Amino acid sequence: MHKPGIEGIPYYLGINSLSEIATRDDTVVVLNAMGGESRQVTPVSHAFSGGNVVFGVSPGRRGQKLPTPAGDIPIYNNVREGLEDGHRFNTGVVYLPPSGVRDGVAELIRVNPDLRKIVIITEKVAVHDAREIRAMAQANGVDVIGGNCLGVADSWNRVRIGGALGGDHPDESLLKGSIAIFSNSGGFTTTIAQYLATEGWGTSTLISSGKDVYIHYGARDFAHALKNDDRTKAAVLYVEPGGYYERGVDFGKPVVACVVGRWKSKLTRAVGHAGAMAGSGDRAEDKEDWFIDAFGTGGLFTPEDPKVSAKGAVVTNIAHIPAALTAVMKLNGVETDFASTGSLSLKPWMSNDQGLTLPADIDLPPVAAPEPYGTQIEVIGKQIGAVIARQTMKDKSGASSMDPKTQVTSVHGKSVLEMALEPLEAIFALPLVHEIADDNARALLDVAVAAEVNLVGDPALVAAEASREAGNSPNVVMAAAASIIGPNRIDRALACARTLITLFAQSGLRDGQDTGFDASGIAVDAEARALFAADDDEADDPRPEAVLKAVAARGGKSVFIDFLTGLGIRLSRDALLAAIATTIAWGPLLRKRITRLTAETLPWYLRLYGVMIGATIPAEHHRHGSLWGIPRQERFEHWTMADLCFLAMTGKKPQGEDALPLQMLIGLLISNGPGSISAQGAKGAVAADGPQTPSRVQINKAMIGFLSHSGYSHGGNGFEGMAMLLEEFKDTGLADPTDPGHGLDLKAMAKRFAEAYKAEKAAAKEVGGEVRALPGIHHPVFKGNQVNYDPRERFLAEYLEKRGDYNIFLAFYREVVEAIYAVGATRNVFCVNVDAVIAALLLAILWKDYRAGKLSERALETAAFTVFLYGRMIGSAAEIDDHLNRGRNMDTRTPVSACGFVV
Amino acid sequence: MQITGMLYGSRLLRHVGFPATEILGPGASEDEIRDLIERHQTIFIKPLFKGGIGKKGKAGLIGKAQDLKTALAEKERLYFAEHRHGNAVAKANGVTFEAGVPAEHEVYFSITDDTRYRAPTMTLTHKGGIEIEELDKSEIATVPFDALTGLKAFVVANALSDINASKEVISPLVQQLPKLWELMHHYGMTTLELNPIRMRPGKGGRLTPVACDFKCGFDRDDPRVARLGLPDHLFASDISAFEQEVNLLRTHQGQSDVFVINDQGTILAPTFGGGANSLVTEVLGDAAIISSDFGGNPPYEKMKAVASICYRHFLKQTNVLFIIGGKSNNTDIFETFRGMGDALREHFSAHGPTPLYVVVGRGGPNLVRGLGNLAETCDALGLPYRFFGFDSAISEVVNYAKDVDKWMRGGGRAEIARLIGASEAV
Repeated sequence: MHKPGIEGIPYYLGINSLSEIATRDDTVVVLNAMGGESRQVTPVSHAFSGGNVVFGVSPGRRGQKLPTPAGDIPIYNNVREGLEDGHRFNTGVVYLPPSGVRDGVAELIRVNPDLRKIVIITEKVAVHDAREIRAMAQANGVDVIGGNCLGVADSWNRVRIGGALGGDHPDESLLKGSIAIFSNSGGFTTTIAQYLATEGWGTSTLISSGKDVYIHYGARDFAHALKNDDRTKAAVLYVEPGGYYERGVDFGKPVVACVVGRWKSKLTRAVGHAGAMAGSGDRAEDKEDWFIDAFGTGGLFTPEDPKVSAKGAVVTNIAHIPAALTAVMKLNGVETDFASTGSLSLKPWMSNDQGLTLPADIDLPPVAAPEPYGTQIEVIGKQIGAVIARQTMKDKSGASSMDPKTQVTSVHGKSVLEMALEPLEAIFALPLVHEIADDNARALLDVAVAAEVNLVGDPALVAAEASREAGNSPNVVMAAAASIIGPNRIDRALACARTLITLFAQSGLRDGQDTGFDASGIAVDAEARALFAADDDEADDPRPEAVLKAVAARGGKSVFIDFLTGLGIRLSRDALLAAIATTIAWGPLLRKRITRLTAETLPWYLRLYGVMIGATIPAEHHRHGSLWGIPRQERFEHWTMADLCFLAMTGKKPQGEDALPLQMLIGLLISNGPGSISAQGAKGAVAADGPQTPSRVQINKAMIGFLSHSGYSHGGNGFEGMAMLLEEFKDTGLADPTDPGHGLDLKAMAKRFAEAYKAEKAAAKEVGGEVRALPGIHHPVFKGNQVNYDPRERFLAEYLEKRGDYNIFLAFYREVVEAIYAVGATRNVFCVNVDAVIAALLLAILWKDYRAGKLSERALETAAFTVFLYGRMIGSAAEIDDHLNRGRNMDTRTPVSACGFVV
Repeated sequence: MQITGMLYGSRLLRHVGFPATEILGPGASEDEIRDLIERHQTIFIKPLFKGGIGKKGKAGLIGKAQDLKTALAEKERLYFAEHRHGNAVAKANGVTFEAGVPAEHEVYFSITDDTRYRAPTMTLTHKGGIEIEELDKSEIATVPFDALTGLKAFVVANALSDINASKEVISPLVQQLPKLWELMHHYGMTTLELNPIRMRPGKGGRLTPVACDFKCGFDRDDPRVARLGLPDHLFASDISAFEQEVNLLRTHQGQSDVFVINDQGTILAPTFGGGANSLVTEVLGDAAIISSDFGGNPPYEKMKAVASICYRHFLKQTNVLFIIGGKSNNTDIFETFRGMGDALREHFSAHGPTPLYVVVGRGGPNLVRGLGNLAETCDALGLPYRFFGFDSAISEVVNYAKDVDKWMRGGGRAEIARLIGASEAV
C-alpha cells in the first residue's frame, strides 16, 4: 500500500531530483532538539542553512530556546503545539532515542499534512520499527532518509538537514562542484568530499544513507534523482556489504563505486544482521561484480592498474576515489571543478619519538598542518614540558609503585633492583628527570653535587654539628642542615634555571649537550646578565672556576655552560648549578617527560643532595679547599657520588670497587612506594605548603618531612641485622668477610644459632610472650613453597655470584634459614630478605674498621641509618616532585569519618 | 543472535500456538527415549549447536533411529560433533531427540526483511525439506507484505495458489502460518525459517502443519527479544568474553560495535565510523586484534570505559595503538581522545607500562585539542607517537601503522620496553 509518487516507480518516491533533497525552501522541525547530539549539531546546521529550523521539540521544555549563531530556535513540548503556534514545516529531523523513533515518525506524519521528508539520525533503531516506519511513510507519501545516518547536505544551496555532514566547519568540506555523494557511511561522506577536493572536485548533493537493514532512501532512489539533476555530472557511491540495494540499478551518469568490506566474508563466525542467515550473494565481492559488470571495466581500479570506463570505475579504497573519478571523467571529456587543493600523502602533524632512532621509512618529519590547525598546533608546541592534571594524591604516587607480587618498588619505571646496579650519579637525577642519566649527565651531576658537599663556612654545617652534638639521630642532623637551605638560599639558582629555559624554549635546541648548537641568536638583556654574574661578595669563592675546570676535565658537554661562559662575565656558582641542571633536564623537558616546574626546581634538589651528604660528615673534616683531606679539585674532577658517600660513611677514599656495595645498598633503599612513612612525611610537607601554588612549596622543608618521618624503627632498623651478625661473628676472629677461604664452619654456627632460637621460641611460648622476629629473615609471603625466596635478595645474590663476589654474612644467613627449618623451628624454609642483604653488605664494608676498634657499635648503627637516608633522599625527591606537580592543597588529610577515637 | 533447532524452537513456537514436533533434550533418560520411539516409531537425533550453522543434513549430522540401541549410538556419535560451514566451525554440546512426523507434504516457510522490497517478505513453497536454492522459481512464492497489516491469511492463500500447491495443504497453512508473523514481529526477530514443516494427517485426513526444524535471527537492538526470557548462554558462543564485556556498554549514544578479528594480532585499532572500520579492518588484515566502530560521538565516560576494556584484554600483546577515523562530523575528538588517553594512563598505573607506539589518523571537531591531550598522555608515559590529520589518506595512515608494527616486531618493541622500563622485552 503506497501513495502514488513519481510515475513508473513501483513504490512511493517523492524526490525527483537531487536538487530537491536539501533546499533553501525546506523548513525543518527537530525532534529531541535539546538532546546531547542535536544541541551540538543543530545550531551549526541552522546557521549554515540560513536558519531553516522553525522549531524544536523536547517534551517538558516548552518555552526554552536553543541558541544558534543565526538566532534562537524555539522549543515546544510536541509537534502539535508548534503547529498551533503558527509554524509550518515540510521536513522532520529525528534525534530521538531508538525506542522513540517510530512513534516520533508517526506523530510527524499524523499531525502535519505538509510533511514531505523525514531524516532519521538515530542509530540502533529496531528492525521491527524500521519496517513500520517504511510502511507508514509509503502509505502517506513521505520520503525518509536514514536511519542511522548523518543526514543530507547541498553544497550549491548551502543547506544541510539533520546530522553533521561537514562537521562543525561545513564550509571546509562542502565545496560547490559537480559530484554527488551517496554513502553508507556518515563519516566517510565528509571524508570523501574532502578527498575529492584534493583532486579538484566539488560536490552538489551529499547523502548519508545509513546502513541499517532498511535503507529508507536507497541507491535506486538516489539514481533516479541523480539523472534529473542538471548540476551533477557524476556520482560517488560508498557501499558496504549486505542488501541488494545497488543491484541492477541504472545510474544514467558516470559513477565511481567504492565497495568495502571483503574482510567480512573471511570471518570465522557469523556477525551482524539477518543477511548472515537468510541472504546470500550480497557480500562485498558480489557488489564489486555488480558494478564491474555494469561499468564494463573488467576489474577493480587501482593506481597501478587503472581500470575505468566512461560509465565508471570500482575501487575498494576511498583514497583511490579522486584519481578514479578524474580518469572516468576524462573519458567523458569533463574537467575538474577547480584546481587541486593538496594531496593525500602522509603528513604527520605531531610526533615525538622519545629519543628513539626510527628507521627512515617510518621516521616522517612533522609537516605544518593547514590553517587553522597549524596555528593551534604551534600554540601547543610553544608550551614546553609535560602538563599534568592535579588530583588528590593522598596515598597515591605518580612516581613510585610497589609490585604487590614481588614487593619490588619501581620509581618512574625503574625498579630498585635495576637502580641498585646503576652508578649513583646515574640515578640521583632519575626522580627528577624520569630517565637514567647518560655519561655526560653523570659527569655534570658529579661536579654539581661535589661543589655543594663541602660546607665549610656555611651555617648549614654549624646547624648540623649542633644537632649532632645534641645527640640526635643522623636524620635529624641532616634535617638541621636542610632547614638552612631555604628559599633565599636557592632563589637565584632557580631564577637562573627559569631564565635559561625561557631563553632557549623556542630556540629549536633538542639536546642540552648538543654543543654544536648555534645559540648566537639568543639575546640576553642586562637584567639576565646580572642574574648570572657572581656578586662582589662572591669574589673569593673559588668554586665557579673549579666547576668549569672540572666540567672541562671530565669532558662534560653543556650548551648552557657554553652559552653562559660566552657572556664574558664571571659566573656565579648558582648560575653554573642552574646551567648543569638545565642541561640534564632539557631533553626530558622537550620530550615532555617532565614539567617545566620540575626542570625549574631541579637546582634546589641538587644543592640539597650535596648539603645532606655533606652534613653526614663531621664538621671538623670540612676545610677550606679540602674535605676529609681530599683536595677540592680532585673531588670535583674525579670523584663520583658513590665515592663521596663512601667517604662520608668511612672517612676513607674508596679503592677499586670499594664503593660498589654501598652504591647497591643505596639503590635498593630508594623507595618502598608512597605508603612508606618517609614518603608520607615528604608528601604531607608538600600538601601542607599547597602544591597548587608551587612557588610557595619549600622543597627543603619537604625533605625535612621525609627526615622527620624516618627514625630508629624506620631507617635505623637496618642495624638489627648487623647486630645479629655481630653477635654471631664477633668472637670468630674473622678477618675478611669477602674471603671465601675464611675457615669458619658456617653450618655448625647456623645450627647452634637455630637451636638457641628454637629454645628461645619454646620458652617464649611457655610464658605466653611474643617470639622475637629474626631480622633479615622473612615469613614466606611469597607463598606456597617449601623453600622460599625473596626475589630482591635472589636478584642481588645472583649478581654478586656472577661477579665472583663473596660475602660470608649472606652465606651465613642462607645457612640459618635452612637450619631453623632443619631443627624444626619453622615449618618451611623462610626467605632471606633484602634487609639481610643490606646488613651483610654494609657490615662487610665496615668490618675491618670495627675489628680494629676504629668504629663503635653506635657508629655502625649510624652508618646503617645513614645509608638508608642516602637512598631514601633520592626516593623522597621523586615523591616531593610528584606531589608538587600533581597534588592539591592539603590533599593528604584523612577525612573525619575515617578517624577514630580510642580510650 | 540466532537460534537453530527445535529444542528452543518448539518452545518459541508455543508462544503463538504453532504445532511442533515432540522433542527431548540432551538430558533425556533411556526410558523417555524408548517411550518416544514407541509412540512415533522413528526419531531423529540431532547435535545441539549454539547460534546459526547451516546444512547439517548434508554433513551427515542428523541421526535416525527406530530402536533405543541405535538412538544411543547416534547420541554418542553426535554429542560432540564438529561442523564446518564456510569459515565457521561449530562444536556440538549435546543432542536432541525429535519425533519423526510421517507426512506426504513438506513445506518451506520463512519471513525476513527483503531489501529488494524494503518490506517483510514471506518465502513459501510446498516442496520444502530440501535446500530452497535447488527449486525452480515457479515453485517458490516470494511475497512482500505490509508491515502494518501483517501477514494475513489472504497473503498465504494467494501465494499457495500462485505456486499450485495441493488443495489439501492450503487450508491448514492459511490457518496456521499467519501466527508466525506474530512470533517474528512481536519478539524482535529479523528472520524466521521453518524447514521443513511436515503436514501430519489427523483424524479424517485433515492435515496439520508440524514444525520439524527451526531457525531464527534476533535483532539485538530490539528490546522485544527480552519478552521471550531466553537464557543468556544461548547466545554466548556468538561473542567472546571481551565482546560480551564491551557489549554491556551498548547504548544508543555512541557505537560500541566491536568484535575480535585475531586474538593474536598486534595492532589495537579503536576505529571511528563504519566506513573507517571497514577500510581499516581490510587493510590491517591479520595484524588487527579487533574490528570496531566507536563512532557516534560517545561521551567521555563511555569512551574511557570501552578503551579500558580493550586495553585490559589486549594491550599487553599490542605493538601499535592505532586510533583511526575519517574527518568526524560530530564525534568530539577532544572528549574521545581524553577518554582513551585517561584509560591508558590508568591502565599503566594499574598494570605497569607496556611498550607501544601510538599512531593516530583523525579529523573532526576539537581536533587539535584532542591530539594535544593525547600527546601529553603519551609524553607522560614515555610512549613514542605520530599523529596524522585528516589531510593524509586514511589508507596510507593504516599502511603506516603496519610499517610501525613491522619495526616493533623487529626490535622496536624491545627498545621502547627499555625506554619506559617495561618489565617485558618481547
